[in-house]
Amino acid sequence: MPDFGIRECAYRRRAHYTAMHNLLEFFRKYNYLFLFLLLEAASFSLLFRFNSYQGSVWFSAANSVVAEINGWYEHVVSYLHLQTVNRELTAENLRLQQENNSLREALTTAIRDTSVTEHIMAERLAGYELIPATVVSNSRERTNNYLVIDRGEADGVHSEMGVVGGGGVVGIVYLTGPHHSLVIPVTNRKSSISCRVRGQRYFGYLQWEGNSLRKACVDDIPRYAKIRKGECIETSGYSAVFPPGIFVGRISGIHNSSDGQSYKLEVNLGTDFANLRDVNVISTPYKAEIDTLRRHAREEDAALQP
Amino acid sequence: MIQTFFSRTGWFLLLLLLQVLVFNHIHIMGYATPMPYVYFLLLLPSNTPRCGYLLLGFLLGLTVDLFTNTPGIAAASLCFVALLTPPLLRAFSPNDQDDEVLVPSAHSMEWGPFLRLILVTVSIHCALFFSIEAFSFFNPESLLVNIGSSTLLTTLFIVAMELIRGCGKH
Repeated sequence: MPDFGIRECAYRRRAHYTAMHNLLEFFRKYNYLFLFLLLEAASFSLLFRFNSYQGSVWFSAANSVVAEINGWYEHVVSYLHLQTVNRELTAENLRLQQENNSLREALTTAIRDTSVTEHIMAERLAGYELIPATVVSNSRERTNNYLVIDRGEADGVHSEMGVVGGGGVVGIVYLTGPHHSLVIPVTNRKSSISCRVRGQRYFGYLQWEGNSLRKACVDDIPRYAKIRKGECIETSGYSAVFPPGIFVGRISGIHNSSDGQSYKLEVNLGTDFANLRDVNVISTPYKAEIDTLRRHAREEDAALQP
Repeated sequence: MIQTFFSRTGWFLLLLLLQVLVFNHIHIMGYATPMPYVYFLLLLPSNTPRCGYLLLGFLLGLTVDLFTNTPGIAAASLCFVALLTPPLLRAFSPNDQDDEVLVPSAHSMEWGPFLRLILVTVSIHCALFFSIEAFSFFNPESLLVNIGSSTLLTTLFIVAMELIRGCGKH
């Protein structure tokens, strides 16, 4: 066995030697071929370097071939990257949608901020605590409408608080949950908000008659009041729900009330209830005080009348 | 040896000058340009190393190129001809002179084989030269006319030079 191993080894060495020898022999024999290739390469480099025509043909031909191959490569690679690209595009799309949304909101706020109503209301409400809220549910039926806003007791919203929007009065908080509240808007038959004509002291109650989301009416305005169409209706502040002077709407018509004793004013509401989103809940600081006084008064009454 | 060297150098310079000063200005019908400097490679004795063929061909082509403002064309084509010359020479040489050194000429090879050798090498050279110069097969007819007419003219001039050389020897 070892004998065979040695012979094998020697055979291999000889074979190896022969291969090397053959290779060297090949190089020695055909060295002129390499020289030929070298000289041809030199000739063609000269040709392309110094002859503008052949150079331009070569470079454009080479470039088109190279571009073709690069095109294939890019094609394949782009297929391999499609999944990543798709994910990136989805993320980008989402981001753009969010940005678009926030920009649109900013735009509407900016447009709305320029209105005089908003400006005046902001002045009036300067001393009050405002809780910003968003309308999450808004029924716009013909009879009794309700709004749901996304602020509740956890945010300091309690029932009987006033709600105002960019266009003026919206309604009054009716029920509260931990994080949401039900609002009775002006466009509900149960709603009754104490109002007055701006610049005058005559007051009445704002009622909704169910015809149009843009119209309500104010009853109990005395017949001797001097009222013209287009005058502003604002909150009176007597109910302690709203501070005085919050815009409600404009007088669009003056009619006689059903009993003929007073005027019934038709009011164009400032708030567009069909398109309501951002509202503020007014936390009146004196409401608790006023309520306490009223309760005292009732108790005194009860005490006086046995 | 030295005499051979001077003889070769002389032929080199003679063919170069003839090409540069005379033949490059000949354009018969706008097509045929004689290029008899290929003759230099045919004159080399058969025991010249193939590397020598290649180097001399390249050098002659390059110098011709330098004077004609076509760098690389003649060098490339003549280099290729130099690669093919030894096997062609062996193919056309008479069989009984295998062992001796053959200095190709009409006298040593007979006119027939020598003429065929000239024709083959010159046609290869002309084909390469004009193909590289055109660098496209956009206009094959004019290219073929160029190659054919130039081959004929070059062969004519080489035969003339061979005749003059033969006369000088005798």
